[in-house]
Amino acid sequence: MKSSKDFVVVVPCSGIGKPFGTVSREAAYDLCEELRPESTRLVALAKLVLGQPDARDLVAKHPAVTIDGCKQMCAAKMVKQSGGTVTREVAVLDVFRRHKDLKPEGIAELNEAGRRLARVLAEEVAESLDGTGQSVKGASHV
Amino acid sequence: MSELLERKVGIVSCSGEELAEGTVARLAALKVLNELRPRDTVTICLPLFLAGGAGDRAFAKLHPTITVDGCDLRCAAHGTEKYSSKPAASLVVNELVAECGLERPEGRRRLNAAGQKAVEVTAERLATLVDQALGKEAGTAPSSEAAAHELAGEGREATCSCGSGVPVTKVTIDGRAVELVALPLIFRQFREKGSGQDGDAERDMFETVKIYNAVPSEAEGSYREAVRREYGAFCEKEKQP
Repeated sequence: MKSSKDFVVVVPCSGIGKPFGTVSREAAYDLCEELRPESTRLVALAKLVLGQPDARDLVAKHPAVTIDGCKQMCAAKMVKQSGGTVTREVAVLDVFRRHKDLKPEGIAELNEAGRRLARVLAEEVAESLDGTGQSVKGASHV
Repeated sequence: MSELLERKVGIVSCSGEELAEGTVARLAALKVLNELRPRDTVTICLPLFLAGGAGDRAFAKLHPTITVDGCDLRCAAHGTEKYSSKPAASLVVNELVAECGLERPEGRRRLNAAGQKAVEVTAERLATLVDQALGKEAGTAPSSEAAAHELAGEGREATCSCGSGVPVTKVTIDGRAVELVALPLIFRQFREKGSGQDGDAERDMFETVKIYNAVPSEAEGSYREAVRREYGAFCEKEKQP
């Protein structure tokens, strides 16, 4: 059985105005609820904005995967500002560039292509966490 | 509040990925932005107050802001007040759900029926608060159906203000590079009124600049001189064909 030390925290951007933000959230749910529920934990970005002690403690003690929907890279910046270590810094746009057939549309409800893009992203991150796959391209995106 | 931009209400939602109530908050905000009050509202992602620039942090100074949170942590309300400006009104989904006697929403990723109902109720309450913030009487705002019809075919999405469009000017003050927000908007307003370069108008202009920018009291003279200099340059540029 894995100890609680083994999990990584997953922080998606809170993007409300663009489909890429919704993709980041969907990918985080895919990863944390379906693909790697035992080894990941979702943390709401708003808590880090507020400086909530429990959330800050989580990102300070566990490696973090951030998934951002735009160039502002809010999730990655906030984790770093909160004293965390970002081990995978993923930009949805970079993943989309490699999967241009999966153009996300819709914010409240993603289209099918957007859901598939989120799944592809989540699978890539899951594999990289296992150490069996390549690091997600875009991981060094700033 | 000085009217530098078209008067719209800024809606800031918690991101609330961890709770169904957070999803309710986000979807209710989107419903107001897209369907109920699309002409009167604009939004910004909460983290941009920290991760963005000075223009993003000025958001709540340029727009009366309503926050909608999923839970009692009130991240959106506290974050907006802490990093931008005090919201005009705040709403918390779990309080509204209790007040209206609704069932607790479930399903942070796909809301159940109770969650969908909570979205409707929260969105209607938000729309009412938007009307109040704009000083509109109840019933003068377009109905949901009318607003949706008006926008049909426009492929409209929420008006997102990341990198919010508020201009930021880098100015050298006492040998330091300082970012001042909204200068061109302020300058244009004064120039269109035909004022700005006599003593009274210059004082009014500087007071307006101080609404949107933090000016250290010990450096007011230097800031005032920098604003005067920038306004002169702005006017010269405007004269050019």
